[in-house]
Amino acid sequence: MEEIAQLESTLLARIDELETPRDILKAPEIKQLYAKIPTLDPAQRGVFGQKINGLKQALERVVAEKESQIEESASVPLDVTAPLHINSKLPKLLSAEQGTVHPLRQEIAKLIEIFGRMGFVAEESRELDDQYHMFESLNFPAGHPARDEYDTFMTVQKDTNEEAFVAPAHTSTMQNRILKKYKENLDKDEPIAAVVPDRTFRNEDLDARHEHTFYQIEGVYVAKNVHAGMLIATLQKFLEEYYGKKLEVRVNPFYFPFTEPSFEFALSCPFCEGTNPSCKVCGGEGWIELLGCGMIHPRVLQMAGIDPSVYTGFAFGCGIDRLVMMKYAIEDVRHFESAKLDFLKQF
Amino acid sequence: MKVSLNQIKQFIDFDLPSTDELVQRINGQLGGVEDVIYLGDKYKDARIVHVVECEKHPNADRLNVCKIDAGTGELIQVVCGAPNVQADMWAVWLPPGSVVPATYGDAEPFTLGARELRGVMSNGMLAAGDELALNDDHDGIIVVTEADLPEGAILQPGASFAEIFGLDDTIIDIENKMFTHRPDCFGQLGVAREISAILQGVTAKEEGATDTRFENPDWYWNQPEFAEGTGSLELEVQNNVIEKVPRFMAVAMSDVTVRQSPLWLQCALMAMGAKPINNVVDLTNYSMLITGQPTHAYDYDKLRGHTLIARMATQGERAALLNGKTYELSEDDIVIADSEGVVGIGGIMGGSNSEVSAETKSIVLEAATFDMYTVRKTSMRHGLFTDALTRFNKGQSKLQNDRVLARLMSLLENIVGATQASKMHDISDMNDERDNTTLSGEVAVAATFINDRLGVDLSTDQMGNLLRRVNFASYPAEGDSSITMYVAPFWRTDIELAEDVVEEVGRLYGFDKLPRELPYRRVTPAVQDGAITAKERIRTVLARAGANEVLTYSFVHANVLEKVGQDSTQAYQLSNALSPDLQYYRLSLLPSLLDKVHMNDKAGYDEFMLFEIGKAHHVDARDDDGLPQEFGRVAGVYAARADLNGTGPAYYQSRHTLDYLVRQLLPGATVSYIRLDEYTVPTYKPFEQLLAPFDPVRTAIVEVDGKLAGVVGELRAKVGRNFKLPERVSAFELFVSPFVQHRTTMYKPLSKYQGLQRDICFQVDVATRYEDIYRAAAFVSDDIRVTSKPLDIYQSDGGATKNVTLRFEISPNEKTLNATEVSQVIDTIIENVVHATGAQVV
Repeated sequence: MEEIAQLESTLLARIDELETPRDILKAPEIKQLYAKIPTLDPAQRGVFGQKINGLKQALERVVAEKESQIEESASVPLDVTAPLHINSKLPKLLSAEQGTVHPLRQEIAKLIEIFGRMGFVAEESRELDDQYHMFESLNFPAGHPARDEYDTFMTVQKDTNEEAFVAPAHTSTMQNRILKKYKENLDKDEPIAAVVPDRTFRNEDLDARHEHTFYQIEGVYVAKNVHAGMLIATLQKFLEEYYGKKLEVRVNPFYFPFTEPSFEFALSCPFCEGTNPSCKVCGGEGWIELLGCGMIHPRVLQMAGIDPSVYTGFAFGCGIDRLVMMKYAIEDVRHFESAKLDFLKQF
Repeated sequence: MKVSLNQIKQFIDFDLPSTDELVQRINGQLGGVEDVIYLGDKYKDARIVHVVECEKHPNADRLNVCKIDAGTGELIQVVCGAPNVQADMWAVWLPPGSVVPATYGDAEPFTLGARELRGVMSNGMLAAGDELALNDDHDGIIVVTEADLPEGAILQPGASFAEIFGLDDTIIDIENKMFTHRPDCFGQLGVAREISAILQGVTAKEEGATDTRFENPDWYWNQPEFAEGTGSLELEVQNNVIEKVPRFMAVAMSDVTVRQSPLWLQCALMAMGAKPINNVVDLTNYSMLITGQPTHAYDYDKLRGHTLIARMATQGERAALLNGKTYELSEDDIVIADSEGVVGIGGIMGGSNSEVSAETKSIVLEAATFDMYTVRKTSMRHGLFTDALTRFNKGQSKLQNDRVLARLMSLLENIVGATQASKMHDISDMNDERDNTTLSGEVAVAATFINDRLGVDLSTDQMGNLLRRVNFASYPAEGDSSITMYVAPFWRTDIELAEDVVEEVGRLYGFDKLPRELPYRRVTPAVQDGAITAKERIRTVLARAGANEVLTYSFVHANVLEKVGQDSTQAYQLSNALSPDLQYYRLSLLPSLLDKVHMNDKAGYDEFMLFEIGKAHHVDARDDDGLPQEFGRVAGVYAARADLNGTGPAYYQSRHTLDYLVRQLLPGATVSYIRLDEYTVPTYKPFEQLLAPFDPVRTAIVEVDGKLAGVVGELRAKVGRNFKLPERVSAFELFVSPFVQHRTTMYKPLSKYQGLQRDICFQVDVATRYEDIYRAAAFVSDDIRVTSKPLDIYQSDGGATKNVTLRFEISPNEKTLNATEVSQVIDTIIENVVHATGAQVV
C-alpha cells in the first residue's frame, strides 16, 4: 500500500516534465500495480484495487487542471485597447433590423407610460426580499393560512432574524417601502401614487399556463377621502386607455389580508366584446378576470406610519404576462423566458 | 366550498332565483363561483320500486328473476344477482336507456338496456350503492326502508329517486380562498345566511324591523342546556393546553349501533362532497358540513383509562392515524390523548386506535376549538390536509361548540339510538360571565366613516338594515348619536375593526353600485426612477445595435455555475425549489445567456447578440437593511459561426457594441479597456465571480470616466466547450449604475473654413498598445479641432512590428490653414507619438 502513495508523488512530479500531461495515466508503473493484484492474498485484492483507482482519480484531476492551464496559456493575448484587430476590419454593429426588445418589457414600458401620464411614479421591486416585506408588513401574521396561497420560494440563507429570505411572490412586497418613501407627499396634500412593474416568483410546476417566474404590476394610491369607487374608476380608466376603447368593469368580493375590502376585478372582453361565444381570450364569457385589488388595510397603512383615520387608499396587482399573452394570442407562457430567437424576433 | 342548494333551502323560506342569476349574485357579493354541478342529470332516471315477486332464475343459481312495480301500471321483469334481493322489498331501479350514475360523465358512460340474461329478459337493473356513486357497497342492492326517507317523504312505486332523496340538486362550488377569513361560510348554514342577505333588495325599514327571510335554526341560535346523562359511563376530560385549545368539550354516549347511514343522510353527504362511512362518522361529518364546526367521535371502549386529554405531543411521540399512516410528532403538535397515548392529532385527524367500528357500543364525542396557527403548522409539517383542518385553520368560533354538539347528540339519539351517558365536559378559557352572543365585542363606527370609504351616502338605518340581514346588532352609542355600535354575531371571528364593518356594508349594498369617481390630482409631474429609465435607455440602444433582449430565470442549476467556474457556495440557494434547475440565484447574468446560445445557433442563427438586463446576488453582499444586495447588471453575448466580415477576434465585436452604447448614453465619457491579466482586480468576491467565465488575456476591464463599469471579452476555452458555443463568441457584463445619469455634451460650432484629412501610418513594436498611440496623437488647441479614427492595423506574417494607420480630420475654427500651419499640426502629432511609443512614420 505504501508503494502506491510513493508512486503517486513520483508520478505527480513527472507530470510537469511531460509535453502531454495525459500520458501520465499510461505510466508503466500503474500497469505493474494492476499486474500485481492476482499475486496478492484474495482478501487484500479488493482494497489494493481501490487504492489504485484512487491513485488514477487523483492523477486525472491534476491532469485536467494542467490541461486547462496549458490551454489557457496557449490563448493569444489581444490588444484590448484597440478598436480593431491586426489585419482585420473595424467591426460593424449588427443590423438594427435584427434587434428586438422583449415583448414583456415593451408592455411594461407601455404600462409605466400610461400610469406616468396618470401621475403614478414607477419603482422597481426586488428579487430577494425578507418575510417582513413579503408578509408581515402586509398584515399576514406568521403562520397565517393566507400565506399558503403564495407558494413562496425560500432561501437556505437566513436574515438577521434567522428567517429565510424569499423570492417575492407578489410585487406588493414593495408596498410598505413605497408608502414610507412617499409619505411626505401626504403632508404636502399630494397623493402617494406609484406602480411597481417587476418580476415575481411562485413555486409552481411549469406548464403552458403556469410559470414560476412572471411579471406583475402593483399599484398604490393613498390620499385623503379615497373611496372604493375611486379604485374601480381608476382601474377602468387605465384599462380603457390601455386597450383604447370603452370597457365595462365589475368587481367581485375577494380576500387578501392586506386590503379591506378586497376585490377580484374583471373587465368586459376587449377582444370580442362579448360577441364571440368561442372567443379564445374570454372563453365566450364576455368577461376577463384580470386582477386583485382593494382598499389598503388600515394595519398596512399603520405599519408604514400613515394614520388610517385620516388617509385611505387602494392597491391593485395585475399579472403582466397574461396581458401580453392575450394581446398577441400567445399560447404558452413558457415562451417568455425561453430566449428563443424564433419567438423574440416576432415582436 | 361545495354548496348544495337543496341543503340551503332548508334554512330559507323563499324561492331561489335561476341558477344563472344566483351565481351572478354570489360572484358579485359573496365570492367567486368556480363550478356549478347539476346532480339531477346523473340520477334523473333512477326510480324507487317495489319488488313484488322474486324467484330463482331457472338457468342460474345466483340470479333471481324479479317482478317490480315502478308505478307504470304493469309489473316489469328484472334479473338481479344480489344476494339480498327478496320479494316485498323496496329498491332503486335503473330502467333501460338510463346511464349507470357511477359512470356518468365518464368518457364511455354505461347505458343500460333490456336484454336476456341466461334466457330470461331483464329490463335495466336494481342498483347497489356503488353503482349509484353513493358509497363503495357492492355486496347487495340498496334496500329502501321508511327509515331511509327524509322527513315527510313516503314510499311510492315509481317515485323519482333523485327527488325523494334531494339529489335533484345543484351544487355551487365557491372558491375557498374567498372564505379565508370567513370560517362560518365553511358550513351550508353560513352560506344560506349570506345568500339570503345578498338576494334582498335594499329596503330601509324602521329601526328594529327585520326583512330577513333566513332564520337561524333554534338549535344554532340558542345556547343549549345539557342534561346530566345516565352516568353509566365514566369519562375524565382534561385540557392541558388551554392557550392552544381555548375550548374543549366532550361527552360519552352509550347504546350506539353502528351501521350504514339512512339513505337520506348518505345522499346529503354525497351532495356536499363527502363520502358516507357509517352512521356515527357520517353524522359528525354532516354536522360539520352544515355548521362549519368539525367534531370527532371516539370508540369509548378503546380509550384507555376512559380519559380524553388535550395536550401538546412529546418530542418523538408517534401517532397512527385513520389514514393508515404513522406520524412522528414534536412538541409543537396539539394531540388528543387517552391515559396512555395519542388518539388523534388535534383539529386534523383521529387515531386508528380509537376508531369507531362496527363493534363500537359507546362513543365519546368531542367538539373543540384549536389555535388556527398551530394546527396549520402541524398540517404543513406532516403534509396532512383534511376537511377539519380546512375549517379549523380559518379560526372557528368557540361559541358554537356547545350548540353544534347538542345538535349532533340529538341526531345521534334519533338516528343511532345513542343515549347521553356522562355529563358534558366543557373546559375553556372563558369565565362564567362569558358573552355568548359575540366574540369580538362591539365596534363603534360613525356613518361618515363608512360613507367616506365607500363613496356613498347611506343613513345609519340603511346600514343597520343591511347588517341585520347577517345578524349584526346595532344601536346608537351613548352620548354621541353620530356613532353607532355594531355587534357581530357569535360565529363571526373576522369582525374587529371599523373597516371590517365598512367591508360588510359595502358587500351587502353591492360594490358594483359604488359611484365611480376618479381622484383629483395636482399638476406635479410624476418623478421618473433613475434605474428604470437607465435600463430602458440601455435596452433601446442595444436593440438598435442589432441585439435581442431576452429574459431568463433568476435561478440556475448548479451545473450552469460550474460550467463557467463560478462557486455555487457563494450563491443564494433555494431550500424548496421543485426542480434542481432552480436551485441557485445568479452570481452574474452571463451564464444564463451562454446557456441559450447553442439552442439558437442550432435553430439556424449564424450571427446574433443576446442581452439581458437583470440582477445578480452574492451571499456576502448585504445592504444597509441587512437585505441581499441586488446588483443591477446588463449582460450580452455575441455569437457567430464564422468570421463572416473579416473583423478578426470576436472580442472586437462586443467591444464595438459597448463603445456605441456608451457613446449614445454617456456622450463625452472616457471609456478605457484594460486587459484583465494586467488589471489589479479588487478583492471583492461578487466581482471575482463575475469574471470567472472570461479569458484573462482576451478580456478587458471596462472603466467609464476612471470608474470600474464591467467587463468585456472572450471566454475561457472550457466555457465554450461546456456550453457548446459556436466558433466566435464574446460577451460582456456591465453595471447599470454608471448609466443612471443623463449627460449631454456641448455642441461644437460648424467650421466656416476649409478642413482637411490626413492619414498617418505609425510603425511600432508589436507589443505597443494602440491606446498609447491614440492618446499620444491627441491634439488640443482652441483654434484647431483635430479628431482621429483608426483606419487599419497591419502586421506582416511573423513581423516584429505593426503599422497603425490613423486618419486625422483637421478643422480650423478661426481661418483656413496654409500648408505650413498644417505641417505644424501634423509634425506635433507625429512628434508626440514618436516620443511616447518610439514609432516610425512610414
